[in-house]
Amino acid sequence: MFADNWKISLRQVRRLLILDIFGLSSLTLPGILSSLTGADGIFCLILGMAGGWLLLWLMQKNLQNAEGDYYHYMKDTAGQIAGDAFMVFYYLYFVTLCGFVLYQTTTLVLTWLLPEGSYFWVSILLLLLAAYGTVRGIEGRARVYEIIFWFLGIPLLVMLFLALREVQTDYWAPLMYSKGGEFLYGSTAYWIFLLPLTAILFLKPFCQKSEKLAGCGLSALLYVTALNGLIYLILLGVFGRNTLGVLKRPVITLMSMINLPGGFFTRQDVIMTSVWFLALFALMHTGAFQSTLILKELFQESGNRYSMWISLALAFIIGLGFFGNTFLMEIYEIYQKWIVLPGMIGILLILLLAHYTRRRLGIRKEKEESEEH
Amino acid sequence: MLIFFLRRYLKIPFIMEREKRMAVQITSDLQENISQFEELFSDCADIKKRKVKVGQKLEKECYIAYIEVAVSSTEWKDSAVGKILQTLRELPEEKLVAYVEQNVEDISDSQPFATIEDAAQGMLTGDVLFFLEGYDRALKIPDKGYPGRGVYETESEKVIRGSNEGFSESIKLNTALIRKRLRSPHVKVKESFTGKRTHTNVDLVYMKDLIYPGMLEEVEKRLGEFEIDGALDSGIIEQLTEKRTYSPFPQFQTTQRPDRAAMAILEGRIVLLSDNSPVALILPATYNTFIQTSDDYYSRWEIASFTRMLRYLASFLAMTFPGLYLAMTNFHTQILPTDLLLSLAAARQGVPFPAVVEIILMEVAFELLREAGVRLPGANGNTIGIVGGLIIGQAAVDANIVSPIVVIVVALTALCSFAVPNEEFATAFRILKFLFILLCGYLGFFGFLVGTLGILIHLSHMESFGIPYLAPFVGADLNGYQDERDTFLRLPLEFLKKRPIYTKEGTRTRLKFRQQGKGK
Repeated sequence: MFADNWKISLRQVRRLLILDIFGLSSLTLPGILSSLTGADGIFCLILGMAGGWLLLWLMQKNLQNAEGDYYHYMKDTAGQIAGDAFMVFYYLYFVTLCGFVLYQTTTLVLTWLLPEGSYFWVSILLLLLAAYGTVRGIEGRARVYEIIFWFLGIPLLVMLFLALREVQTDYWAPLMYSKGGEFLYGSTAYWIFLLPLTAILFLKPFCQKSEKLAGCGLSALLYVTALNGLIYLILLGVFGRNTLGVLKRPVITLMSMINLPGGFFTRQDVIMTSVWFLALFALMHTGAFQSTLILKELFQESGNRYSMWISLALAFIIGLGFFGNTFLMEIYEIYQKWIVLPGMIGILLILLLAHYTRRRLGIRKEKEESEEH
Repeated sequence: MLIFFLRRYLKIPFIMEREKRMAVQITSDLQENISQFEELFSDCADIKKRKVKVGQKLEKECYIAYIEVAVSSTEWKDSAVGKILQTLRELPEEKLVAYVEQNVEDISDSQPFATIEDAAQGMLTGDVLFFLEGYDRALKIPDKGYPGRGVYETESEKVIRGSNEGFSESIKLNTALIRKRLRSPHVKVKESFTGKRTHTNVDLVYMKDLIYPGMLEEVEKRLGEFEIDGALDSGIIEQLTEKRTYSPFPQFQTTQRPDRAAMAILEGRIVLLSDNSPVALILPATYNTFIQTSDDYYSRWEIASFTRMLRYLASFLAMTFPGLYLAMTNFHTQILPTDLLLSLAAARQGVPFPAVVEIILMEVAFELLREAGVRLPGANGNTIGIVGGLIIGQAAVDANIVSPIVVIVVALTALCSFAVPNEEFATAFRILKFLFILLCGYLGFFGFLVGTLGILIHLSHMESFGIPYLAPFVGADLNGYQDERDTFLRLPLEFLKKRPIYTKEGTRTRLKFRQQGKGK
């Protein structure tokens, strides 16, 4: 039967990636960009997207060279120890991402949906839901996000369209006014939000047309950047640079201000929170799923129960850490900026170099052998 | 203990062996056949056995056996067996066996048996069993068979447009009703039996050139995976062959309508009919197929699309509406306009229970009314609906046990569950409604999101015979996005040129226009 093949389609991959990179970036990035660069934030998005494109290009080159899955490619190209070290690096990235997004999602719930709720129980409930989704594999996961894509997309686009009435284009000026350092900081921030695209590397065995994975990632990147650009311009036009810079989740605040025609619902923020709740959950689920998959490969576990529970427990502890100690956020930012981002690029470059060196050496050896003969 | 040990670990089927009777061959000795047959059916007052003299000189004997009401007694002479007996009385004794072999065996649906057990089984299908002196077979001669209802209008799955014929308890009649609609030699009926003691006839009806490769084998494999003493209804077969036993969602579509079954066969699906059951099972089944009705395709596309969207909305609200009411009124009052909020609060004044308890009380009361209405005879059932809905509801509001708005919410939820065309499918939403009441009652809109996501994850993992339960909303690319044309919207028929994904690849075209340029 065709449905039980552990393969997902390109449409499913694309929608999964869009939700993964859209949720967190649209929720937190406008505030960061506005406080740093004002209207120039739109150019930060473009530069950040270029960074994302570079990442995708490097991934595509490596995926082209990989005959099997990415783990085996790393081991074959860079050796057993380096391969395992890279896997640990990726594991740490995904498990911390899962913990961080768990914290973000729980805070979102506690701020907008359940103010008197307990952090502990809300995050446990979310992790159990992620475990239920992870335990059945990638097919079910891809189907969930394929379905909810338009259920989230249509209301969001309608609300953004209605918000256009409130935009004051004066706030879009002045342009080209920010300092170089701040501009680079903003661009790097967006680039970091695009790092979940690296999940593509591990999707090769699960995708029906794996040769088009990077193209799929590129269309997701363009789609999300366009949407983020639109949201940023609307937010900037509604709130202005100073207000936008201090709002924690400005896009949800915007949703509470838009009046639907007819006046049946006076505020939509609660309903629209579901868009970001589901997008953040998708990213958390990606973190949980990828970390489970990597741990499973590292320990060569036949099922995925132990790997999953270890990863989820770690994510829970990390999330709890963010909740209890806000300075961990700064450490996480440093970790992302100075370790994860260079590490991701570095690994892909090392693998490419190692691959081409090996190939060149192999060709030279073959040539020498043929000359000897 | 010893028997248990031997059965459990050495797999020696003691009891099974004991239940099996050695097959007894039918011989040309009529007396021996009679004694063996009567031993098998001793103490069976409903089985009638008669010895009849035949031949011109009435020197030979034959023996007929039948189930009392299954054979026409008043029109005996006009029945097949009556005519055979009359002919046998007119023939010389030496030609009787030859006549039976050459002529009677060729009567349609008659069947010779070599063993007493097979012959007995043949008689239990409701026909006459015939033994003749000197003839080493027993012959099953068709008669009217078991009493049945005939073709009646279906009680459920009502349509505004289209046939009103419904399946009955007779499997033969049901297959004929399908065959009447699909007059193609490609329609195949594969017969099997299930139930060790009931020996229930199960037919798999399908279009040979359309079914997906491996689907029939999978169904047969699953049917062969169990042995049960009795399968009295298709529901038992359904539960034993489905994979996800703990899911509230059905994995087989059920129908009592021959036109729905025929339509499913045309889509490359398999219809499973079980004797004594007016409910046919259709497989594979998806969320979308449960929402579709027969008259979706008989009515114009605008009407069909509109009603289908209503049904999709109804299926969602049947599960979530009371929960959403609780989330909005208890947790997120800022969503609603102040006037509405004040009127809601005024309506709740004096009600002693929390809103969650109030809703649960009303929902349980409604489910009780529904159950009572189903169990009571027709006219009384309607009365219960009126008494329960109007009198008790009004009295509960007057007594300040519940608020009027809760009665409205519960009534609307009930309407939504009635709008879902499939009873089993609607029941899944009715059960899950209580989960949403608890989640939203204690967690507000967050509970709603958790519940929705949980059910979505559950449904996305589900499959029915290899087809994703949420198809074609997922995996639509596999059939070139053609199946999406028949989901929320039922596009005009000229757009639905391809069969759905259940059909074998290469045979998916169902509509062609002879005139160039017509159709989209």
